Amino acid sequence: MTPKPFADNLFITLVGPPNSGKTTLFNYFSGKNYKTVNYPGATVDSAIANLQKKFNINASLMDSPGIVSLYPETADEVIAVNHLYKHPKLGKPDLVIVTVDSSQLSRHLYLAKQIIDSNFNVIIALTMVDILEQKGFEVDEEKLSELIDCKVFKVDGRSGKGTDNLLSFINANKNGFKKKPLQNNNSANNNTDDVLLLYKEIELIEDNCLIEIENNKNINLKKANKQLNLITNKIAKKKCNQIDARTVKIDKVLLHSTWGLVFFFLIMSFTFTSIFWFAQPIMNFVSYIFQSLSDEFLTLAGNNLFGMFLANGIVNGVGSVAIFIPQILILFLILGLLEDSGYLARGAMLIDKPLSKIGLNGKSFVPMLSGFACAIPAMMAARTIPNRRERLLTIFILPLLSCSARLPVYTLLLAFLFPGDKAWIAGIVLAAIYLFSIISSVLVAAIINKLNNKVINAEDNSSFILELPAYRKPEIKVVAINMWHSGKLYLQKAGPIILVLSIFIWFFTSFPNFDPEINTDNIKQEQIHELKDSERLATSYAADFGKIIQPLMTPLGLDWRVGVALISAFTAREVFVSSMALIFKVTDSNGSLMESMLGAMKNSKIGNSEQKLFTPSSIIGIIIFFMFALQCLSTIAISRKETGSWRIPLLQLIIFSGLAYFLSFVAVNGLRFFGLS
Amino acid sequence: MKTAADLKCGDKVTINGVNIEHPSAKRILEVGFTPGQEIELVNKSVFDDPIAISVRGTVIALRKSDADCIIIS
Repeated sequence: MTPKPFADNLFITLVGPPNSGKTTLFNYFSGKNYKTVNYPGATVDSAIANLQKKFNINASLMDSPGIVSLYPETADEVIAVNHLYKHPKLGKPDLVIVTVDSSQLSRHLYLAKQIIDSNFNVIIALTMVDILEQKGFEVDEEKLSELIDCKVFKVDGRSGKGTDNLLSFINANKNGFKKKPLQNNNSANNNTDDVLLLYKEIELIEDNCLIEIENNKNINLKKANKQLNLITNKIAKKKCNQIDARTVKIDKVLLHSTWGLVFFFLIMSFTFTSIFWFAQPIMNFVSYIFQSLSDEFLTLAGNNLFGMFLANGIVNGVGSVAIFIPQILILFLILGLLEDSGYLARGAMLIDKPLSKIGLNGKSFVPMLSGFACAIPAMMAARTIPNRRERLLTIFILPLLSCSARLPVYTLLLAFLFPGDKAWIAGIVLAAIYLFSIISSVLVAAIINKLNNKVINAEDNSSFILELPAYRKPEIKVVAINMWHSGKLYLQKAGPIILVLSIFIWFFTSFPNFDPEINTDNIKQEQIHELKDSERLATSYAADFGKIIQPLMTPLGLDWRVGVALISAFTAREVFVSSMALIFKVTDSNGSLMESMLGAMKNSKIGNSEQKLFTPSSIIGIIIFFMFALQCLSTIAISRKETGSWRIPLLQLIIFSGLAYFLSFVAVNGLRFFGLS
Repeated sequence: MKTAADLKCGDKVTINGVNIEHPSAKRILEVGFTPGQEIELVNKSVFDDPIAISVRGTVIALRKSDADCIIIS
């Protein structure tokens, strides 16, 4: 979705180095007018929004991944630079706002100068002015503007201070931004000498516009500048290059050889347990709401085709998936907080050494962490890994990490295994499943790394260079808004698939024999419904299909009904739960959606025999199947897109799903051999 | 030849040169490690690698194998 072009609609692009306050400024300018959004922890694609109406400028605004220079080395930088030169839908920008952290002026002006030299219309937004002031310096923006040849404004994206000047300048000049022919950059033409020359130029500019604040009350800027001779200038420069002392102190602990690891594990365990504990009450509430809705529809529309379509096909199908939205939101929230505080970069640094032993990179950390939310943003986040081989290997193992789509499946199955007062065990087992998903992904990475170039054929320089931003208090409001939008976007993507599949499965489990004839002598109304339900399912299209896959299910101790649910879950894992809800649910009962499903599962038998379908061993088998199988169309599609060929997604599909079937078979039959039913 | 990979915690030195044959050299220069800059090793990671070096008002984490192209004497 791109904003409609107006006659005077400007296209403004925001560019800047990582941690320069670019996204904060983007959020301030765009308010809630998001069109696209990046997932927390992974600004790896451009995001488009409209400038807020209150600013009275018709403009589309683009945020892009942070870049160090116009010569990209990673996949996310390539996107940032390409979209800067020509956005696929919006074309060339009328204006480029480059964010420059004034407390590290020379590093950030480097990029700004490159962009100015490439003939873009540039405005520099100087951020973190307060941090520079704490060091006793400030930037003479007029001098800088004159030396670097573009407008310069001091802004604060958090409070909006200074943005009015910037915006009124844009407003006054909105018809005057002419598109000049751009200087094309070619990596081959840029060598290390050019880098050094550009830095020399920048340092001269920096020397002339950076001024020491003599004392807080009476600042005579021009005079102070003149009085600086070469020697004091050098001392002054040392002072302004000082880094945040508090950050160094915190890092002494968080990167410490023992405490660093302790805190790393504490932070990670907190992240995963809170997904479970904080979400549980909200999930129960959502579950209750959907059950009431479903009952309400049945009462209103009656027990006919239309009522059952609404209650079963739509409300229960969608509801069984909506239950796990709180968990996704909480994971996004924590990821956003960790990113905003600055800890994610430390996590990546800590884990670089062990990960490099198995062919991964410290920069695989954020993708792997996002993988617990969803493999899709995770595979996109892998763009930050410069080495192609390491990037492909990271993408390869990501489907093994326990994504949130598996949560509703595990939640249902574990609730079956550990009902009522034993629910606390379910929490521990879930933690073990998470831990095991890390272990299995690491093992698979190590094995594939050993197999060398047979699976992943790419080789180049392996490196790890990452800025450690100063620690700061995360901005709850910004993180929460981002979480909300990520969640919404996630739903918009997953929602339609789930809705369509729910209707699809409802149809195939209800027809062709929607109103089966049964012997109604001497039985209660309630039993008639139950009998009709089971007869309808037994003679449905899904049953016909199920009989074909029955031979595959029998070795796992399952029947065709679970088979249908498992196959439908190949579109998206969470569909398993909605399919189970449709296949096993007895429509009218009291309590929550979850409870009535569990009750129905407990009573189901294999075929006409007395053997129970869901036993501890068969449930464990299904859990193991879900831990390994690559059951997600979107993951396969994004893997194809990010790796550039079908090779890796097909290998993932075959290897992981084959492994899933094999291990599940071994587990079920092994457990039964040792006497567990 | 001493490189930034040989630094100890708290060592403050001036960059003498950058080995441009090194595959990471260009990125190292771009993030600000240019000859004449004063750098300090502020922290090491849990396993002593990567290391955190301050340069131009910020801290960059880099592997010792990358820091190896920053010549300090």
